Amino acid sequence: MEIHVRWESEMRRLNKKSSWLWPSLGAVSLGCTVLLLFGLGWALKDAWAPAAGIALPSATPQPAASSGDWADKRELLVTAVGDSLTRGTGDASGQGYVRGTVERLAKGLGKPVKLVNNLGINGLEASNLAIRLDDEGYKGALSQADLLLVTIGGNDLFHVAQNGGSLVDGGDIDAALLQKRLVGLKPRLETVFRKLRALNPNARIVYVGLYSPFYDVPALRESVGAVIDEWNGYARRLADADGGITVVPTYDLFETDVARYLSSDHFHPNADGYARIAERVAQSLL
Amino acid sequence: MANQLALIQNETLKVWKKKRFAVVVLILLVLVPVFVYAQMKIAQNNQDKFVDWRAELRQRIIDNTNALSSDRVPEEWKKWRVALVQQLQYDLDHDVNPNTPNAVTFTNSFLRNAVGMFIPLMVLAIASDLVSSERSTGTIKMLLTRPVRRWRILLSKLITLTLYVSLIIVATAAVSYLVSGLVFGYEGWREPVFVGFRLAGSDIDTADVHAITQGAFMLMLMGLVWFSAMVVAILAFMVSVLVRSTAASLVTMMAAVISGAILSNMASSWKSAKYLFNVNLDLTVYLQGSPPPIDGMTLGFSLAVLGVWAIAALVVSFAVFTKQDILN
Repeated sequence: MEIHVRWESEMRRLNKKSSWLWPSLGAVSLGCTVLLLFGLGWALKDAWAPAAGIALPSATPQPAASSGDWADKRELLVTAVGDSLTRGTGDASGQGYVRGTVERLAKGLGKPVKLVNNLGINGLEASNLAIRLDDEGYKGALSQADLLLVTIGGNDLFHVAQNGGSLVDGGDIDAALLQKRLVGLKPRLETVFRKLRALNPNARIVYVGLYSPFYDVPALRESVGAVIDEWNGYARRLADADGGITVVPTYDLFETDVARYLSSDHFHPNADGYARIAERVAQSLL
Repeated sequence: MANQLALIQNETLKVWKKKRFAVVVLILLVLVPVFVYAQMKIAQNNQDKFVDWRAELRQRIIDNTNALSSDRVPEEWKKWRVALVQQLQYDLDHDVNPNTPNAVTFTNSFLRNAVGMFIPLMVLAIASDLVSSERSTGTIKMLLTRPVRRWRILLSKLITLTLYVSLIIVATAAVSYLVSGLVFGYEGWREPVFVGFRLAGSDIDTADVHAITQGAFMLMLMGLVWFSAMVVAILAFMVSVLVRSTAASLVTMMAAVISGAILSNMASSWKSAKYLFNVNLDLTVYLQGSPPPIDGMTLGFSLAVLGVWAIAALVVSFAVFTKQDILN
């Protein structure tokens, strides 16, 4: 009995001390519960019986690069697009030739050079790139750049020539097959150049020519070399027709000491190899 | 009925006097600024590195695409990345910035990250000793000797718990909005966000995708977070009925919640884990259509699993509480 009385008086004390507390606390927490139940119901309705959705603000137009001399511009925008060479695969420091080129350009021009995007995707072929260039998201990055750096084609060539096995030995490259299919691959490059130019009429485009990673494999030196030569020559002719495209040769960089400039996969350049490509590209622009 | 209301009032005030809710708010006030600061650093870094948000979004898409080609990435993660790439691509194609730094988007991402761990822990602070504390302090006898039926007493505790869970969710959203707004600005309620992506095999179906405002998105997130928080609260409530010691009840529930977070992250190939309540807690993934932790989980499935666990816990709680002998 005594315990009862104590409890009662304790509760009375608690309630009296806070006559305002219970009404406000009760009302607020009840309000919160109702709000959250409403949110839950709305979420379920939206997931199971979706409404039309709100109207979107109209898209802002993609920024376009201005024409005119680089000397007149306050800063230079660069976009790199292409395959694993653009990505920088094989470079332990992750720089690749793109960062190297941007740094050298900034130094040489004495003004800020900004990389908009590095759109390099490992294993990308020219045919996939052509599809990606139609993508709305890609367009903005390409149209606003003053300089486009492009590497493409290597995967096209070596994928069609590969008949299984490891690339490192070079033994699985069928040079005769490569020569035969080369004709069919050329239009892919033409499409890429055409689309890039359509997206950005004012940019200078630099195409990094292909090199042969198999120069030190005697069985392939001549045959692969001839294919690479023809591809680069074809790129050169397209570039000349355009007038704003530069093809930077790189095949000579990987002939004397292959092991020193190629990474351990015997296909991609290593950090030193990329640095030499970057040097070349910068030289062609400065 | 009036009797019941008085009981609820009594319970609510008891929890309030224990200052548990004050502790929750205090923790929020300490932690949220830390997250806001981290978010601000990321935003600054992106501003230095990228010409605009589109460039940043494009780079995210490309980086994730490249990660997909790596053989080292497990299949389940690839699926998650494919979904992410397609969602980001959708944003980019429709020229909608998914991460404008403002208080509303910050709150939304905070809610999504808090649902698995942070919110459950806050809820446990209140739920874990709701019944067990009465026993360890001996006040349970006073409570049960009142001329009120036992189930009414337990019900009043359950309703009190519900009210406090609601308060915690709303307080979390409010603190995170108010604090992050100081840095990022308080706008952003009307900005669009895409919901309704559906997983179809390894691809994403965009047929049902539609835009809602970030404000509506926040309300939906809060509702879903509330549901999973309630399930954690009810389970903790049951444990608190079963276990005498508050510490034991707290540790049991914490272990359950944390193991759920670990299981979800293990990209589980143990399919039947999807019937555990703790891998189903993150209901927010379904709103936008991110892949769930285990194949075959859907919003309906997770709601059902959580619902069954909660109902079972309620049955056990009431059965035990009304029958059990109170020995000392």
